[in-house]
Amino acid sequence: MSEYNKPLPEIQPYSKGYWDGTKQHKLLIQHCNSCDSNIFYPRRDCPKCWSQELDWIEASGKAEVYTYSVTYEGVEEAFVDDLPIILAWIDLPEGIRMHTNLVECEPEDVHIGMAVEVVFRDVTDDITLPYFRPVKRGV
Amino acid sequence: MSKRGLAIIGVGEVPTLRDPERTRWDILLDVCMEAIHDAGVDKNRIGAVISNNPMAQPAMQNDMSLGKIPEVMGLEGCRDIAICNAGGASTTNCLRLAEQHIESGQADFVLVPHTTVQSDIPAQDLINFFATAPLDKQFEYPYGVTFNGSMGLITQRYMYETGATQAEMAAITVALRGWGALDPMSIFYGKPITLEDVLNSRVISTPLLAKECNLLADGGGAMVVTSHEIAREMSDKAVYKLGHGTRFMSATPFMRKDIFHRKAYRESSQDALAQAGLSIHDMDLRQIYGAYPYTQASALEGYGVCEEGEGAKLWASGRCGPGGDLPCTTMGDATGRGHTGSGVSMAFYIDTVRQLRGEAGERQIDNCQHAILTTSGGSVMNTCTTVFGRQVR
Repeated sequence: MSEYNKPLPEIQPYSKGYWDGTKQHKLLIQHCNSCDSNIFYPRRDCPKCWSQELDWIEASGKAEVYTYSVTYEGVEEAFVDDLPIILAWIDLPEGIRMHTNLVECEPEDVHIGMAVEVVFRDVTDDITLPYFRPVKRGV
Repeated sequence: MSKRGLAIIGVGEVPTLRDPERTRWDILLDVCMEAIHDAGVDKNRIGAVISNNPMAQPAMQNDMSLGKIPEVMGLEGCRDIAICNAGGASTTNCLRLAEQHIESGQADFVLVPHTTVQSDIPAQDLINFFATAPLDKQFEYPYGVTFNGSMGLITQRYMYETGATQAEMAAITVALRGWGALDPMSIFYGKPITLEDVLNSRVISTPLLAKECNLLADGGGAMVVTSHEIAREMSDKAVYKLGHGTRFMSATPFMRKDIFHRKAYRESSQDALAQAGLSIHDMDLRQIYGAYPYTQASALEGYGVCEEGEGAKLWASGRCGPGGDLPCTTMGDATGRGHTGSGVSMAFYIDTVRQLRGEAGERQIDNCQHAILTTSGGSVMNTCTTVFGRQVR
């Protein structure tokens, strides 16, 4: 898997738990034990109450498309072979909005409000990126 | 002498081009000298130089940050320099800091310059800069996002919520290019486009089409500013700041609750208008720097010029473009001018000065007494709204 040449996330000390989670194919959301809020993206201190009593909860992996955009050109060289790329903002029931790519679907199948679920891709030995795909009906 | 308030008394600008032969320093010296001549002040009375940070151009940034401008230009009365970087809102921060130098008595006249050359930077480097500087490197960048893609996400949601059609959105670009076609400072001077031109252009990031995205270009501008009182005594061409308001939303686009910035436009404009003692309906000109068409629509909704969701339809009606009765963004925005990085905001202030002076040529709107102007930085992290007038109220 050493040939992955796209940008990898610049992991910070306080986001390590998130990326350790994706490696185990779990979508972890930072949670503040002091004020009970869910935090995304991960930080050192809770942005609401500045507590450092932070923990991780596992998200259901279900989400809904808030908006999307299909990119056909203008990307960095490393992404050219992936075009078209479906960018999306998705809302998790845990109260989190994330930026992701929608995969395992065609651009014309995507719509706002579409139900999606997390899917993990081990892009290198160390990094697993979470993506989202449509929830298959009747499964 | 009371040194309150801020007035723009001199402007200088070069045409927006893609011409790597024209150096950053050539642009800088030309616009600074023109602004100082236009102001009618001796160069040695410039008490401070507050520069707009040239994005993605580290050598020029160092020159500006570390004092080269007053040294090269021989500004013998210069007491200090500074540089402001807030992306597209950099010029606004320069003006705020300039006002502080004036009010504290350290400078009677402040020079505020900008220069940018992007045509000598490889396209891939620029794509990388705009995909990393204003966007998140952990949670956005690994997904192949570009700046156009990020703005495409917001535009898609805007159209979904408001019912604005692709043609109505495209009409905004037609109007902006219409203004640009009348502006000798625009890279699109003499080059208007039709609705079909926009709708038939390539798809970049849905729903954004190629003509709705920005052409990165080279340019620059400069202003000389002083206090209200000095301006009144020495200049009949001064343009006065009457009020200012600002709101911050978020650095990262997906973190933003107010994703179309309506609340930020509304609150920042209400603050600015309240200080000016004026209403949005007293404004003869609305200048919106958002760099993408949806901002031209949502700003009018936030200002209260029209109802929420009606902004794109208002543009499509033709009322905001050349010849319309609600002229907006006569500067053309980055879409109609060519995107000169952080300097687009400079061009907005200069165009506002030209309109209020009655020196806007073919773009001149009738009897322009008051204008409202909003700039934004980064991925529209903020809205910085200023009301200008021809007279101090």
